[in-house]
Amino acid sequence: MSAAAAILLLTAFAAGVTGAWSPCGFSMVETLGGARGRVGARHVAASCTTFALGALAGGAITFTALAALGSALGGAGSTAALVVATVVALAAALGEALGVRVVPQIRRQVPEPWRRTLPLPLAAGLYGVLLGLGFTTFVLTLAVWALAGIAVAIGSLRAGLLIGLGFGAGRALPVVLMAPRYATLGQRLELAMAERPALLRRLRLADGALLAALALAFLANGSASATRLVAVRATDPSTAGGAFAFERIGGAGAVLLQRGARSELAARLVAIGGRFVATGDGRAIEVRDRASGASVVTVAAPRATQLAVSDRWLVWRANRPGGGDRLWALPLPLARAQPAGSAGVARLVAGGVGSHAALDRPALSGDRLAYAATTQGGSRIVLLNLATRRRLVALRARRVLLSQPALDGDRLLFVRTTYCSQRLELASLRAPRRARTLLALGTTAQRDAGHEPGYTSQGSEPSRCPRGTPRPTGRTLWTTALAGRAAYVTLLRPGAGRAPAAARIVRVRA
Amino acid sequence: MPEQRRRLSDALAGGTSRRGFLGRAGSWLLATAAGTAALQAGIEDAEAHHYCGHTYTTGSCPHPTGIPRVDLHGYPLRARDGHPVDDLGRPIDRAGHPLDAHGRRLTDPDGRPLPPAPRSRVCQDGVPDRYGFHTQIDGSWYRCCGGKVRRLMDCCAYHQTRINGDAALTGYCYAGRRVFCVMYFQTSVPC
Repeated sequence: MSAAAAILLLTAFAAGVTGAWSPCGFSMVETLGGARGRVGARHVAASCTTFALGALAGGAITFTALAALGSALGGAGSTAALVVATVVALAAALGEALGVRVVPQIRRQVPEPWRRTLPLPLAAGLYGVLLGLGFTTFVLTLAVWALAGIAVAIGSLRAGLLIGLGFGAGRALPVVLMAPRYATLGQRLELAMAERPALLRRLRLADGALLAALALAFLANGSASATRLVAVRATDPSTAGGAFAFERIGGAGAVLLQRGARSELAARLVAIGGRFVATGDGRAIEVRDRASGASVVTVAAPRATQLAVSDRWLVWRANRPGGGDRLWALPLPLARAQPAGSAGVARLVAGGVGSHAALDRPALSGDRLAYAATTQGGSRIVLLNLATRRRLVALRARRVLLSQPALDGDRLLFVRTTYCSQRLELASLRAPRRARTLLALGTTAQRDAGHEPGYTSQGSEPSRCPRGTPRPTGRTLWTTALAGRAAYVTLLRPGAGRAPAAARIVRVRA
Repeated sequence: MPEQRRRLSDALAGGTSRRGFLGRAGSWLLATAAGTAALQAGIEDAEAHHYCGHTYTTGSCPHPTGIPRVDLHGYPLRARDGHPVDDLGRPIDRAGHPLDAHGRRLTDPDGRPLPPAPRSRVCQDGVPDRYGFHTQIDGSWYRCCGGKVRRLMDCCAYHQTRINGDAALTGYCYAGRRVFCVMYFQTSVPC
């Protein structure tokens, strides 16, 4: 459970406990505790149990329904929703700290006749449901209203259930604690609650503190999921061992950042991996040791358009005559023994005879190569062990574009694009289909209403995007890099005609 | 006549999931009431659906831009102007490269055209990929829409429910297949 979820649960619980000061809260303790002489201790225990179950059910119903409403309204879970939840929590925290009157107030109570006309366990269960529902009787803290707003804003059924169960447990606890021992502990506590208003005041202060903590947790969550600008007019990030490199767009060189120093490289292509940095100028690729700057190998590669390097391999992409792309791989330990300028041992690893697939920028981690291949029939992300030549399709999709892979050990970062959205996703190579979304953007395509003007919308539902889909954008998720907790992605605004492309690199927490 | 009756009874039942009862009721009504001309008029004039020419309530086949316009082979086209689009909904050229609003190729930071994305046939590839069963186009019907002849196409399957979730209709499907979803091809023939 995350810190935010734990604080959310605690806040809901405290809000439920505060409800014990309501007329209904007092009545419940008296109703169940005072019945012991008439119906016996076992009956009271059974009634406390049904009351607790009812309160949990009521809480779950209310707050899960509110979360479902938030989800249906759309935008739930977005940055805007998180801002709304934070503002609501902060406002309620301030109100609780100042002890302001709870508005709006619900001046209603649970039906009194039930305790006389129904069997006590049944009446207790129904009372529990009503109190757990939260908004059927007096509200003693602003936290209840705030939690309702937060449930809608977050729009997560799981969060709604968490709030509901926490609130229900809070409503049940005082009754379950006091009623079975009403003659001793129960009456004493009831008296203290009734005659010492400071107790309620302190509890509301605690509610306020928890709401403030919740707001801070939301802020921390928001900043953790937010993108951070790393470089402008830049593309093709690569990262390894704390170093970071990227290319300036328009062939304006490349930049290598390592150990606090910034190096300008006169290269059109750059990639780092392991202890090496590889650069390309359109005619040849040179691999250097990042620490010493010593040249390891220079390979003639006149049509190279992308690079990847690791401690063991250099891989580059080149245009394939007749369409599509090719990937070439050169083992670096062998290359060191070769005279500079020789590319004799490079071998074709993708884009062979008969293949017209478009290949994305390759990614390397040790011997493992990842690349995305797209044809009209579908796209796939392929893993190839360059040492053993074992090839594996990690992900495959027919109507979805899987692109721009990056590797870090056994983790795979990639972009999944549909007609509704673009998502930067992170997965383990052991279970690549169970990917987590790090960043989501809307589609770059223009969609129509799904029905012709003047016609009904009925029947257009199957092509619609799900609620909560990000708005369409002009930016495309482009090349990626991954190292530790940092995932990098290029946000590309494609060029057209004479207008050049614009691009910047952002970092997202992985 | 029996075929017309069957189609129109489907049409009458198409607005609801309780089509077993309504289908029979529609069939009975048709058998005992209006003549052929009236029946034909009933079909041709029914346009209270989500695109011109479509007379049933069956939903569109999932399409990358929304309105289910396709080319003769079933590949997706943008409804507004009939321009080919890929599975991401982007207008594309003959080689599959995405284009901007002025028909120019989109380029990456190195000036290379953006790579093509997959492009699937809406009924024959897209629906099986999403729903997991075989579909095909059996037959179609032509109507006049906006001054041009339009071909209404049903995506058929051996499936009892349609894409909306309720009972599937026979529509223009044969050999026991039923309409799962619908789409159209716009001809340039004036009418």
